[in-house]
Amino acid sequence: MVNLLQNGDVCMEELKEETPMFCINDNEDVLVEILRRLDGRSLGSAACVCKMWCGIARNDALWEHLCFRHVSPPPSGVRPVVMALGGYRRLYMVCVRPVLSRLGRMRVRVGGGESDLVSRVWTRQEVELSLSLFCVDYYERLLGGGGKLGDAPASSLIFLCKTVNV
Amino acid sequence: MVTKRDREREKGDSSASMAAKAAKGKVWEEERPDTGMDELLAVLGYKVRTSDMPDVAQKLEQLEMAMGTTMEDGITHLGSDTVHYNPSDLSGWVQSMLSELNTASPSSNFDAISNQTAGSSSTTMIDFSNGKQLGDQCKIYNDDSEYDLRAIPGGAIYRSDKESDRGSGIKRMKSSSLEPEFDDSLTVAAAESARPVVLVDSQEAGVRLVHTLMACAEAVQQENLKLADALVKHVGFLAVSQAGAMRKVATYFAEALARRIYKIYPQDSLETYSDILQMHFYETCPYLKFAHFTANQAILEAFAGANRVHVIDFSLKQGMQWPALMQALALRPEGPPAFWLTGIGPPQPDNTDALQQVGWKLAQLAETIGVEFVFRGFVANSLADLDASMLEIRPSEVEAVAVNSVFELHRLLARPGAMEKVLASIKAMKPKIVTFVEQEANHNGAHFLERFNEALHYYSTMFDSLESSGLTQPNGQDLVMSEVYLGRQICNVVACEGTDRVERHETLTQWRTRMDSAGFDPVHLGSNAFKQASMLLALFAGGDGYRVVENDGCLMLGWHTCPLIATSAWQLAGGDS
Repeated sequence: MVNLLQNGDVCMEELKEETPMFCINDNEDVLVEILRRLDGRSLGSAACVCKMWCGIARNDALWEHLCFRHVSPPPSGVRPVVMALGGYRRLYMVCVRPVLSRLGRMRVRVGGGESDLVSRVWTRQEVELSLSLFCVDYYERLLGGGGKLGDAPASSLIFLCKTVNV
Repeated sequence: MVTKRDREREKGDSSASMAAKAAKGKVWEEERPDTGMDELLAVLGYKVRTSDMPDVAQKLEQLEMAMGTTMEDGITHLGSDTVHYNPSDLSGWVQSMLSELNTASPSSNFDAISNQTAGSSSTTMIDFSNGKQLGDQCKIYNDDSEYDLRAIPGGAIYRSDKESDRGSGIKRMKSSSLEPEFDDSLTVAAAESARPVVLVDSQEAGVRLVHTLMACAEAVQQENLKLADALVKHVGFLAVSQAGAMRKVATYFAEALARRIYKIYPQDSLETYSDILQMHFYETCPYLKFAHFTANQAILEAFAGANRVHVIDFSLKQGMQWPALMQALALRPEGPPAFWLTGIGPPQPDNTDALQQVGWKLAQLAETIGVEFVFRGFVANSLADLDASMLEIRPSEVEAVAVNSVFELHRLLARPGAMEKVLASIKAMKPKIVTFVEQEANHNGAHFLERFNEALHYYSTMFDSLESSGLTQPNGQDLVMSEVYLGRQICNVVACEGTDRVERHETLTQWRTRMDSAGFDPVHLGSNAFKQASMLLALFAGGDGYRVVENDGCLMLGWHTCPLIATSAWQLAGGDS
């Protein structure tokens, strides 16, 4: 509805009708670009917004980017192995996040300063260790469930998950 | 910080060192201005005078000890069943709970008590794990001070009357006054109490316990079995006064000593469930993970550039070591090699083919990550029964061979000649690298007493590290199984002899000499292995206590200053690259 105020100004409603509404849900690619820049926790929250966001946020490519965007240099040839062992989202949840937060905390304690976990550059060893632990996780699920690959991490990796609380 | 301690105490969550530190009540008075009520507790709803704080702290500490140590007696319900009616009387409330459990009275002679219970001989020899037997007669508190063989005894020893009906007792709040209400609870307790109880400072009792254990071992060495028997019973009594690691260690050692005295050797073969127990040990603490990761790193480096690799694993168990190696091989820049794994294991009591099952799972993993994999399993009672020719090893131009053993080599020392035979077989396999992980301890000395003392120190440290790992809840299944795993080793070291005694651990120095004279050269584990090991330990909750130490190319993992296991790598002398 058009509303003319007494002083002649045009009301907001009129402006709204003239320009098309921007809805993020109509622009998946923009959404993906935004999600790519989030940290793990925010990405997890984003997955809880609605079904559509959930589907997008579960896209493994996003998590791959999250896992290794700050790794220097980025590891090559890792993708098929990770995908086979359960995917990047699982890698992040089970190994990367706890490793980063634990080791980041250790660094803060030693370094004595504020450290931004998200932007910290991984070392090669940390990547290797995470991947190894991820493989152990897969194997344990093989041993335990007889092929059933559930969501809960295997027992020996419980030590990684203990102190994390979201 | 002081305030944090308050809060943590309120939540009933504390550690041994906290309990010890909180006893210094006077710190609080110095730090806090005397404004009457404690501000921080007031926020929580408790009105406590600042000047009363040390007293309250001490009582809370005692209460904690009571709740913490008597888990099997069902006291822990105290934490959840208490109804708190009068928050302003924090001191009185805690005191009332304490009084209901245990009441204080003038001190008396500890020795008198010990003679009394030693004479009763109502405890059975073997069954020390059931603390209730002795617990029926006495109820003992202690603080959770860390076990330390060199602990300086201190503190008072005083006696209290016990309440027989400790198991029941929903806590009722003593309403009204700020004064601790001794009288009511005393009369109640006195009416029901049977035997006198000793409240001992655990450090004092801990030292006595250790001395008694050693005295018992000495008696056994001197074949004075009557004295040994009496001492072993005494150990049982003292063990109940301890908590946590010390208690468990003492219990296992006492049981082992008892077996030795009465010549009741464990009937079940050591192989029963050993795989399962080792899995739990794997999950609870970092020793096995450290072993696997460091050995894998050495093997990976030795395999650089090889297209076919063959690992011979003397200790396959569940194959937990190999997924990480396979993954590292899969991600090699030059692509994965063809990976052959020969696993050697003992015959299973139920005749199942455990080796093949493990091999099958590993094969599944290998297929998933794209590594060409072949598995072969060998069942052997002893490694000495094997021959290099059985293993179908191809010439070294074709494949690179690695031999790996985690906690297996020491068993060969039980039979003369076995060790030499196996080392000769290993040489015949022409390996690129030989990695083994062994316990860093001398449990193979000529004299029983010397072995006993070494083992006591070693396993106490081990149990301590398990206890402090913070991973599992106290007495959670994993922890208990890990302890059983270690307990079996203890039993073997102490109670068995001859070919039965297979847990013949030796120190790295001794292994070095042996490998040297057998014709092997050491291979230094690089900084990669060290960094990876350090990171792995940092991930563990109790990571602060564990230490990785590099020792002339070998890596040792220990708890605080005490090294417990050592990984070393070897190649054939004369350097064939």
